[in-house]
Amino acid sequence: MAELSVGLPMHVASHMSGGRDLWSEPLPERPDDPEAAVWRALGEVLDPELPVSVTDLGLIYGVRVDGGRVEVRLTFTATACPCMEFIEEDVRDRLLAEPWITAVEIEQVWDPPWTSARISPAGRRALRGAGVSA
Amino acid sequence: MNARDFSPEVREALQRLILSLADTKRMLGIRYSDWLLGAPSIESGIATASMSQDEWGHARLLYAMLKDFGVDPVEVEHSRPPAEYCSASCLDEPFADWAAVVAGVVVVDGTLSLALERFATGAYDAARRRIPKMLAEEAFHRDFGQAWMRRISEGSEEGRQLLAAAVESMLPDVVTCLLPGDDEAELLAGAGVTGQPGDARARLGRRLAEPLAALGMVPAADPPLPGDWIASRRRPAGEPAGDAVERARGDRNRALFVE
Repeated sequence: MAELSVGLPMHVASHMSGGRDLWSEPLPERPDDPEAAVWRALGEVLDPELPVSVTDLGLIYGVRVDGGRVEVRLTFTATACPCMEFIEEDVRDRLLAEPWITAVEIEQVWDPPWTSARISPAGRRALRGAGVSA
Repeated sequence: MNARDFSPEVREALQRLILSLADTKRMLGIRYSDWLLGAPSIESGIATASMSQDEWGHARLLYAMLKDFGVDPVEVEHSRPPAEYCSASCLDEPFADWAAVVAGVVVVDGTLSLALERFATGAYDAARRRIPKMLAEEAFHRDFGQAWMRRISEGSEEGRQLLAAAVESMLPDVVTCLLPGDDEAELLAGAGVTGQPGDARARLGRRLAEPLAALGMVPAADPPLPGDWIASRRRPAGEPAGDAVERARGDRNRALFVE
């Protein structure tokens, strides 16, 4: 599911919060590369307003895994983004869906400031597909 | 540097600086929102909604810095009486008309941004990490304010007079409150938290020179501290109107509080 956010069809604009209806099945056991698994899982969490994942939007500044505890460094497109709580809840719910993840700590970060330059090529394609220029 | 790395005197002054910036942003957001409807055009009014959103986002990030000083930001945001607010006094009452809103964007928001720039380039790490995002968002406010200022300056004499009067009433107050030249400002500059207040005032004067010249005005050079200056609140005596503080605190929504 790593490519989930690439070329998302238009209909995902009507997805459930965070794209949770599109989330893949949790892994049955702890993966060999937990950090990569966390990034893949975060790649399935969609922005509440746009059909693009939080990873492709460039909102994830870092991930750290310590046993079953995951730390996520997360930024937002705006300091008063009205979707902050939704995004944090979606990130937390997606990660905690994995049985090997027992705790999620989210740190809000603002350095460096987010700009549209952080959107990945895949994110730009997805946004263009939804009629949003980036 | 973190809060604990400064001397107790600098820590106290730093805390008051944060509160002054945060409270002014919070009240500015309220004053923009007063004009969400009723502006000269629908689009211009709606723009104040975006600017209100930014101001409150910035205020929240600034209040959160108080945690470094052992202060609960939720308590500060939702429990203080108006008499404890440290916002610039020109925001105590609503902007009287759209000319005052434009003056608020150019003069109050512009001075706030300059004060934040000084803070973001100083020694306090939390300011260095959080303020650049605020300044990026403020670029749109600056463009909006300057475009409106040009429009009014090139319009009717009555409009120019309204705008000039609004600028004249706000500028000395906002320079005094946000770029004070008192002992505390010197203390913060000496600790590397901000630059020298005199330099900032000179820079503000240069920034405002062109838009004010179009109104036949020159920036107030160096307003003195008023006789009723309250050092602990970094503002003259007085307080924001009670209804604005009730909105800011969310008094009527206590039962729905989610933070």
